[in-house]
Amino acid sequence: MVKKLNQHGMHKKTAGLLALTLASTALLSACGGNNNNNGGDTASATSGSSSAPSGKSVTLKVEVFDRGNAPDGMSITNNYLTKFVQDNFGTPNNIKLEFVPVPRSEEVNKLNVLMASGSDVPDIVFTYDSGTFFRYAQQGGLTDLSELLDQYGSNLKSFLGEDTLAYGVVEGTQYGIPAKRTHLGKYSSFIRTDWLDKLGLQVPKTTDELYDVLKAFKEKDPGGTGGKAIPLGMSIAPAQYEPLIWSFIQPTTEEQKYTLTQQLGSRDYPVLLPGFKDALQFMNKLYNEGLMSADFGLDEDKTKLGQDVSNGLVGFYSEDDMNPFYKDGTVDTLKANIPTAVLSSVDVYTNSEGKHAKPEYAPVGMYIMIPKASKHAAEAVKYLDWMASGDNLFRMQNGVEGENYNLVDGVPVTIADQPAEFSNRLYNQGDMAIISNGKSLGDADKNVEAYVKGMPEANQEETRKAMTISRTDTIAPIRFDVPVESQAKYGTTLLDKFEELLVKTTMAKPDQFETTYESMLKDYMASGGQAILDERKKLYADMQK
Amino acid sequence: MNATRYIRRYWQLYALLVLPVLYFAIFKYGPMYGVIIAFKDFNFFQGINGSEWIGFDAFREVFAMRDFYKTLRNTLMLNLLDLIVSFPAPLFIAIMLYELRTAWFRKLSQTILYIPHFISWVIIGGIAYQVFGTQSGMLNNVITSLGFDAVPFLTDKNYWLVTYLAIGVWQSAGWGTIIYLAALTGLNRELFEAAEVDGAGRMRRIWSITLPSLKPTIVTLLIINIGHMISIGFDRPYVIGNTTVREYSDVLSTFVYRVGLESGQYTLATVVGLFQAVVGLVFVLGSNYVSKKLADQSIL
Repeated sequence: MVKKLNQHGMHKKTAGLLALTLASTALLSACGGNNNNNGGDTASATSGSSSAPSGKSVTLKVEVFDRGNAPDGMSITNNYLTKFVQDNFGTPNNIKLEFVPVPRSEEVNKLNVLMASGSDVPDIVFTYDSGTFFRYAQQGGLTDLSELLDQYGSNLKSFLGEDTLAYGVVEGTQYGIPAKRTHLGKYSSFIRTDWLDKLGLQVPKTTDELYDVLKAFKEKDPGGTGGKAIPLGMSIAPAQYEPLIWSFIQPTTEEQKYTLTQQLGSRDYPVLLPGFKDALQFMNKLYNEGLMSADFGLDEDKTKLGQDVSNGLVGFYSEDDMNPFYKDGTVDTLKANIPTAVLSSVDVYTNSEGKHAKPEYAPVGMYIMIPKASKHAAEAVKYLDWMASGDNLFRMQNGVEGENYNLVDGVPVTIADQPAEFSNRLYNQGDMAIISNGKSLGDADKNVEAYVKGMPEANQEETRKAMTISRTDTIAPIRFDVPVESQAKYGTTLLDKFEELLVKTTMAKPDQFETTYESMLKDYMASGGQAILDERKKLYADMQK
Repeated sequence: MNATRYIRRYWQLYALLVLPVLYFAIFKYGPMYGVIIAFKDFNFFQGINGSEWIGFDAFREVFAMRDFYKTLRNTLMLNLLDLIVSFPAPLFIAIMLYELRTAWFRKLSQTILYIPHFISWVIIGGIAYQVFGTQSGMLNNVITSLGFDAVPFLTDKNYWLVTYLAIGVWQSAGWGTIIYLAALTGLNRELFEAAEVDGAGRMRRIWSITLPSLKPTIVTLLIINIGHMISIGFDRPYVIGNTTVREYSDVLSTFVYRVGLESGQYTLATVVGLFQAVVGLVFVLGSNYVSKKLADQSIL
């Protein structure tokens, strides 16, 4: 592989290729650093938990996502929040915090490089990818945190709670500290109510009614798009297809849920659950009748969809609940383009029980880990514990009262039009306040309210509606307390296969749907789907013993 | 000549050679050490030495994967089609440029033809999407406004092949002419004048003078190209390809990326890389041998 990389050295412009290069560095540094490691391994295991600050200053290295969006005069390693944690946690404890930037879009590849570098790795690293976390844990690269948490992490433990912490356990050992996710809702749907009004139609309440509305959008073109209307906006990002597909899944037994679901990456996929084929059949029908985005198979990051919505071509679509409502976001652009446009949050897709079934998030965000090579595991846990104690997390997420926010009914309301000097303080709060994924005010409704109050005034009502819809009739992800190894191994490949299955069956001519479905599913099963099914069946049987 | 005199006389040449040799030793031969990952259950917390030997287990696993054969087939297919379509293109262009008599016009055409080579594949991918998209692509806007049905250039696998090849020619043909034009500058103009006096037309001159004098260059490039049959650049299929045509666009390099980097199975990825290197070597030696026998031209 390494040799092959050199042949490709000519064009290294894509992120993918950059990643390849990085990985080859990883392999090289892995062999180089190895000798030092063998000797140092035992030393770090003993010193890891016991090194207390004895008058001498300690440097704690913490990973931080770099999104390349630092405001003028700040950098990702030197900004308001890095100073805040240094002044409030670092200096009083005689610890010097050093932040190690990792580009957000390459987090896993870059993390692999850091982990392979042995002694140079940061003391606190994290990833959103559970497969990566499991792999590190199983390969023996992480510090066992159970004792450290008991010793130094009481605030952290009570903040996260048992449910969340359980996600960090691999084969009985606490190898990770999952961040707590505060808003579990994922998706809402959105419809152009001005189009409905023009046609004298009611907001559809079921999938069948939706079909009639989409047809009407197509035939009567209420937006006057000149035949360019896209009744159902679609892409191959989960936010667009998941709500549709899950609403077709039939009621399932506990056993079916555990054995027939396939977790690929961080999501559960219902490929083998009863009703999945009906969902594909419905998508096939919509596509062949011209009711869906024609090039949805090319739109991997929903860029095109966003443009189509903003340009007033899309009649109905599903999306991450608050995504359309940000300042200068989809809705604001749509209204600038077409002042009469109204996009409303609606809950339409209905399952056989009459529920608006849709997936929700697991109660975890990213997995925070302390590499085995770290010599400052105790300080690392202390840092996370400090963040969870008192009002530290609140201040990191919301800034200074009276300058960044005002407290109204216990909810921090962002001050509109605050000078950049103030608002810049919090530009990377999501990446610095790592123990919490999303605003954390103690209860779900308050968290939602905090998000709503952060939106432009005109969009607040619809944001509230969308965030209520996203929490209604949800399906929680299935969790085994042991890692499903075949999922870690085949997950990425199968995710590609799944997308292929989805796109191919949708785009097939109706009379070829059946054969396309059969052959794609066969390919999916042979590429690892069967292995996951077998393993999950076995794990479920073990659970029943 | 004794050794001291020899060294004193030629040391500058050896000094010049030091840097290139170092380059190859460090960047080409050094990393080959990593090839042993293919025979180990590689775990980067243990490093290469610490990982366990697994013999040919990883090879067995790779050769049992369906995707391996699919991507192997696609790699060979795309490269073969590229060889048929993209390989002759620079030759034609070079001959045409050579025939041009107006110097400034020749230089201008040459420059315009080169430019696509310097555009990153990521950007070309974006342009392709704007031009060839089904619903809003420029080309399809023209086609539909003329009353025809939109053509799925990017989403039907057969149309996609045409798109893929056409973009390849557009991107690389101009650049490929450089080597041919360089070979042609050495050509004696008097040959053409003599042929013209003897009554040879333009086609006759191209056929009997230009092409034969380019033969060694063509053969060399052909052998190099055949040697690369089994390896394929990552960017082009990855960027131009998409989910709907993965049946054709998924190639060994994207397979290695997915299995090795995205799934962290470095051992399997190394196996594929090693396999490509070995087959590539066989191809180079084979085509060199054939060309030596048939055309008395070889590069080794």
